[in-house]
Order: sequence, then C-alpha cells, then structure tokens
Amino acid sequence: MRKRIKRGDKEKGYTRSIVQRSGQNVYACYQCGRCSAGCPFAFEMDILPNQIVRLVQLGQEDELVQSKAIYLCASCFTCVSRCPKGIDIARIAEAVRETADPKGADHFGPDDIPAHRAKDLPQQAYVAVFRKFSK
Amino acid sequence: MNVHYYPGCTLKEKAVNLENSTIASMKILGCDLQEPRGWTCCGAEYPLSEEKIAGLAAPARILRQVEAEGGTKVTTTCAFCYNVLKRTNYALKTDPLKHKRINAFLKDDIAIDHDTKEKTTGFPPYHGNVSVVHLLEFLRDDIGFKEIRARVKRDLSGLNVAAYYGCRLLRPYNEIGMDKPDDPVIFEDFITSLGAQVIDFPFRQECCGSYVSVSRPEAASEASYRILRSAKIEGADVLVLSCPLCYYNLDRQQNLIKEQHMEFTGFPILYFTQLLAWALGENTGSLGLEEHCYNPAPLLESLEKAEVAE
Repeated sequence: MRKRIKRGDKEKGYTRSIVQRSGQNVYACYQCGRCSAGCPFAFEMDILPNQIVRLVQLGQEDELVQSKAIYLCASCFTCVSRCPKGIDIARIAEAVRETADPKGADHFGPDDIPAHRAKDLPQQAYVAVFRKFSK
Repeated sequence: MNVHYYPGCTLKEKAVNLENSTIASMKILGCDLQEPRGWTCCGAEYPLSEEKIAGLAAPARILRQVEAEGGTKVTTTCAFCYNVLKRTNYALKTDPLKHKRINAFLKDDIAIDHDTKEKTTGFPPYHGNVSVVHLLEFLRDDIGFKEIRARVKRDLSGLNVAAYYGCRLLRPYNEIGMDKPDDPVIFEDFITSLGAQVIDFPFRQECCGSYVSVSRPEAASEASYRILRSAKIEGADVLVLSCPLCYYNLDRQQNLIKEQHMEFTGFPILYFTQLLAWALGENTGSLGLEEHCYNPAPLLESLEKAEVAE
C-alpha cells in the first residue's frame, strides 16, 4: 500500500496562524517562482520567496523562523506585483517574523548599529528597520 | 495657491536639501506649502500584519489634522510618507474593522492648545477622504508640466537624466496607483518638462535596498550598485529620485560600493526638487549639494558654462 504524506496537527496550526496574520491564502501558490526571479535580495537569501510560501504551506515553522531570508525582505513589493495569483508575500514574510520567538531578543536592535554609521543614517531608516526587525 | 504639505521626519534633519529645494521651487511656482499643526512621524513602514494595526494611528491622525484645518489634499515629497499615508487612506476606506478600531482609538486623543493650554478631546472619526498626492502628481495635475516648461530659466538640453522611481512610489499598485504599473511615465514627463533628456534604464523600478542597509549594509549596497551601474551603462549623467532613503543608499553609501566594486568611481544623484529648483533659476549654492557624497555641482555648472560658450 502506498504511504500517504500527512501534516501533523501542530504544522496545520502554524499555517493557519500565518494565514490569519497575513490575510493571505498561501494555498493559492503553485510555485511558479516569479517572486524569487524578481526579488532584489534573492542573491543573499538562504531560502527563496517561493520556498518561504511552500514552507508555510507545509507548516515548517522552525525552518522559517531560523532563516536569514525573512530578515532580508525590504518590503519593496516586487514579488507582490509579479505574483500571478495575487499573493502578498511581503505580508507572509512579516507574519513569519512576527511568529519568530515573540518574547526573545530583537533580531536587530539599536545596539547593533555601529557608532560611525549612526550619525549618517536617515531617520526613516531607523523607524523602518526597528518596525520590521525588532519586537 | 496654498496646499497642505507633510514633510515627514527625515526632511527636517537628514534631508534638509530635499525640503529646502521643495520650498524654494514651489515658491517660484507661486505655491505656499502649509504644514498640518502638530504633525508627527508617519511610521515610515505601513504595518503589513493584520495584528499590528496600531501603526495606522499616526498617519490617520496626521490626515485627520489636515481635514480639521480644512484641507482636502496633502502633498508629500518623501516616497515613504506618501506610501504610508496613501495606504492608510485605502485601509480606512476598504476595511470597516480597521476603520472602527482606529477611530475608536483616535477619538480619545487629547489636544492641548499651544497658547491657552486648553485641553480638547472627543475627536470626530476620519474616513480616509483627504487625498494624498506626491509632489510629482501635484506638479502634473495642479501646476501643470506645461507651466513648469514655461518657467524654466536654464537650458538642460545637454543633461541625460535617469529617472528613478524605486519601490514606494509605485507599489503595491492596487493601493498606490500613482501611474501605470508596468510603464510609469510621470517622472519621465517631469524631466522632459525641465528640458532635459530622459534615458530609459531597466532598473528604474528596482529596490535600492531600503532599510536593509541599516542591518545588512553590504547586501543593500549590492542592490544599489546594480541600479547605479545600469544608469551609467545606459548613458545617464545623473540619477534623479524622490526618497531620502534611496538617496542614502545610492549616494551616501557610495564609499561602501567603491570598496566592493573596484571599477565603480562614483555617480551623481539629485533629488527631483533640486533639479527643479536649479532649472527654475536657483543657484547651486542654495541646493545643499555639498552634502552629497558625490557632489553634482560641477556637473550642473559645466552645463551652464557650455551654455555661455555657445
């Protein structure tokens, strides 16, 4: 008899929480990869935007929250504008960041900025980066 | 003409040259800019998560203040502010739950009068009706590119300009909709109205690295480098943009790009208002060009000399 691959209950719960937080139907994705082709940071990513969506479908929480890719998203919406299924991947990345150890340390906080750069950075960069990458 | 103008936090400190050139050129065009009283930072990033709607409070409060002062329109020059304010309007108009929650929160604001110290509260709801326009749209629709063309004092015909949109002016298309999604022309039309030559370059809508340049500068500068390289290959003399963060990534970070790419020797960047103010007759000394990592003043002055030599 053939084995049927099932997801456990925990995984199902994770997918559901991402769907709720992001408001996106992650199951609409059929892995065409246009998001990854357009992403300006794909060259630095360990998992690509289309793989992020696939991992969400499969409920792979650990792999997602430990990835570097979710902290490379600049919310430029190139992926969103290219997705033929209208999935807002920037929202999915934001939802994954939100679920990453909510009580843990900031991924990127004020102390991580070297002093020589702090004087030069524009205010909007500070506000934006802390909104995205700290708790 | 009088119009509300929301500068945003960066224009008051790190992008003073953007603000000053905006005010100077709008003055020449006969338009007074009025800031909404007691404005705050808009939050820079629109909250993407359904759980974090508190981020909508600040932009909604700014827009409510514009409405309270009798304004129906607010202009911005910063692409981030434009994006956040416009998307907030969209959320309040299309999402009844967000509208309800944000207005319930903002109702209990306390405003203290500057002179009498009198406190007021119980604010009326804001429904997202103040139209948010970028200064480029304002120049196109309210002042008119023809009018600008008539007022241009300098000859820019020898200048090849790469018009750089970046991400925040255009995307997401259904909420921002500043111009045609795949083939925006507003920036190019603006440059043409100044009399300069527009060059087409494929990276005009690419992301410059945005706030990732704070946390991962070497990754962001790679994205910036590709834009500058593309503009240079296509034959641009200068790249023109509208966002203080794009300016930081594409100009202030050029030293980092030079470290990573031996062949890169620097590239001049201008805010669109600096080019506008210069075309309208302002001197290079008043544009704050000396703050640029790669000073574009010699480029502009060389155009002027060529004009005299003819």
